[in-house]
Amino acid sequence: MSEAAPYRLRLFVAGSSARSQDMIHALRRTCRQGLGPATELEVVDIFQQPDLAERNGVVAAPTLVRLSPAPVRRLVGDLSDPERVLRAMALGPGAA
Amino acid sequence: MPEPDLEAALRRQLRELEARLQESEDTLDAIRRGAIDALVVSGGQQHRVYTLESADRPYRVLIEQMREGAVTLSPDGTILYGNHRLSEMLELPQEQVIGRDLGLFLPEGERPVLAWLLREGGRGELTLRGARGGEMPVAASLGWLAVEGEGAVLCGVLSDLSAQRAHLREVSRANALLRAEIAQREAAEAALRQSQKMEAVGQLTGGIAHDFNNLLTGITGSLELMQEAVLRGRIVGLERYVASAMASAHRAAALTHRLLAFSRRQTLAPQPLSPNRLVEGMAELLSRTVGPAIALRTELADDAGTILCDPSQMENALLNLAINARDAMPDGGTLVIGTANVLATPEACREAGMAPGPCVALFVSDTGIGMSPETAARAFDPFFTTKPAGEGTGLGLSMIYGFARQSGGQAMIESALGQGTTVWLYLPRHEGMAEEAPKGAVATPAAGRGETVLLVDDEAVIRMLMGEALRKLGYATLEAADGPTALRLLQGGERLDLMVTDLGLPGGLNGRELAEAARRTQPGLKVLFITGFAEAAGLDARGLDAGTEMLPKPFSLEALATRIRAMLDRPPSPA
Ligand SMILES: Nc1ncnc2c1ncn2[C@@H]1O[C@H](COP(=O)(O)OP(=O)(O)OP(=O)(O)O)[C@@H](O)[C@H]1O
Ligand SMILES: [Mg+2]
Repeated sequence: MSEAAPYRLRLFVAGSSARSQDMIHALRRTCRQGLGPATELEVVDIFQQPDLAERNGVVAAPTLVRLSPAPVRRLVGDLSDPERVLRAMALGPGAA
Repeated sequence: MPEPDLEAALRRQLRELEARLQESEDTLDAIRRGAIDALVVSGGQQHRVYTLESADRPYRVLIEQMREGAVTLSPDGTILYGNHRLSEMLELPQEQVIGRDLGLFLPEGERPVLAWLLREGGRGELTLRGARGGEMPVAASLGWLAVEGEGAVLCGVLSDLSAQRAHLREVSRANALLRAEIAQREAAEAALRQSQKMEAVGQLTGGIAHDFNNLLTGITGSLELMQEAVLRGRIVGLERYVASAMASAHRAAALTHRLLAFSRRQTLAPQPLSPNRLVEGMAELLSRTVGPAIALRTELADDAGTILCDPSQMENALLNLAINARDAMPDGGTLVIGTANVLATPEACREAGMAPGPCVALFVSDTGIGMSPETAARAFDPFFTTKPAGEGTGLGLSMIYGFARQSGGQAMIESALGQGTTVWLYLPRHEGMAEEAPKGAVATPAAGRGETVLLVDDEAVIRMLMGEALRKLGYATLEAADGPTALRLLQGGERLDLMVTDLGLPGGLNGRELAEAARRTQPGLKVLFITGFAEAAGLDARGLDAGTEMLPKPFSLEALATRIRAMLDRPPSPA
């Protein structure tokens, strides 16, 4: 499953802080290890782009959104547990 | 029975719905557990972000802790929020800040400034008056902040300027202190210089009194001897006494001249002269003055032209410079005296304090010990000398400087220790021919041809001497002790060929005024002023009208007669 198209993820945060920076780092590591090195991770501050949150169906921050591959998936709340993140973001074995 | 395709599609849809449901449950769960920072609430076109306490907490802490006053204001100046520092600045507990009018914490005169800032935003300086009466200068910067649904508010930052002001005050105090110290030191130095000068003046006047007494003794002694001899009817050998009295008198005259020159109040008798001819004429004398160990060379420029100055003063200056040079070369050396045509720009002239125009320079250059910058800076000062007490008066260069300045020129020193010295005298170039050989003029017959000369002087002896000398030469003379007497003689119908008058006269009319009054009675009357000082402003010979000349006292009777003859021989002025 590693030869499939790379993952595109988008993280929505509320304001930038040291805590959110730590979270972004941890998340990058998790994604590269669990979803492949080509994984793209964008970070959006909902204060700066609330309309983008609306378009991506985001209602809270932090939210991690899988933009592709389809279908779109969202994970809200605590993103510090790599297993929880990968469980939500990785395509399930039956979904491919 | 559903087809297998349809079944697969339904299963996929179901899985998707399950996933969506899972997502929603997770979201709700996260919200419930407080695992989120903010919620995005969408209403039509607008999206609002509601932050939970945890999300903007760092900013609140930051704002609370910063050392500037942070404030949000309604457009009328009511405080909506103020940080901790602001409550310090206003000298109020934090819970009493919100809801107050910021303008009430300003002096009345500054409220318009606040009103302006509230209207326009921007920066200004204000004085905050705390609730306990403390005052604090602040820099205020206010800006509009649009808050959805709530109308506009202003947010601003107030920074304390007192430290900065105190620093400025400190700096300017230090500055003032420094200036005061400098002024004090300068005053002390000036006082010291003045007292040194006074000391020197004391020495000098003591010395002069002594010299004068000697000279007077010589004169009176000679006169006494003459008187004795005359009483005893012995005329033979009298010239000896006369000669020694004359010699003493000449030395006394020379001494007063030196003093007057240094005070720049000497009467100059400038005339056009060729600097080259002057230097050539003095070379012999100078060479003898400096002695055989010093080689004298002249460097005369072909285009040195003509200058207008007092020839005897110029000779005196060159002699003094040569003596200074000799003193600077105790082991011998070379002395160069030269002339140069100077092409000075108007700026250079202005800088040197001279009227713009072409100049001629005379210079005296030696290969002697030279001067340190300190010595060179003070060498023109009167009484400044490095020579042992009793050897130098320190008047030589100051006299030369005074003479150069009074002649419309400038004097400058070019010197360095061990490198020799050159003293430059700059004088304005005179457009005209030098008078031929004024020195030989002694032989010109000064005899009168019956002309009438009026002599005005309050000193009876001088009147008498002049009258006697002139009558012997064939002039008719009239005498008056003051201006009114002189005018009465004139108005009584006396026809004069020339009037000789002292400048300083008693009786309400000075010599100059007398000359003017006399010319109203007899236009074009020739007048010769005699004076010890050029006291009346601008009475250098240059400043005189046509038909008017000046003869500085003391003068010899021969010089008087020569001058009178020369004046009478000149054609009358067209006045
Ligand atoms: N040619 C020179 N070389 C070196 N120093 C000089 C020269 N001319 C003048 N000075 C310095 O300038 C000082 C002042 O000179 P100035 O002619 O005014 O007075 P003086 O020569 O000391 O006294 P006086 O001229 O009355 O005999 C001198 O004492 C000397 O230190
Ligand atoms: Mg001298």
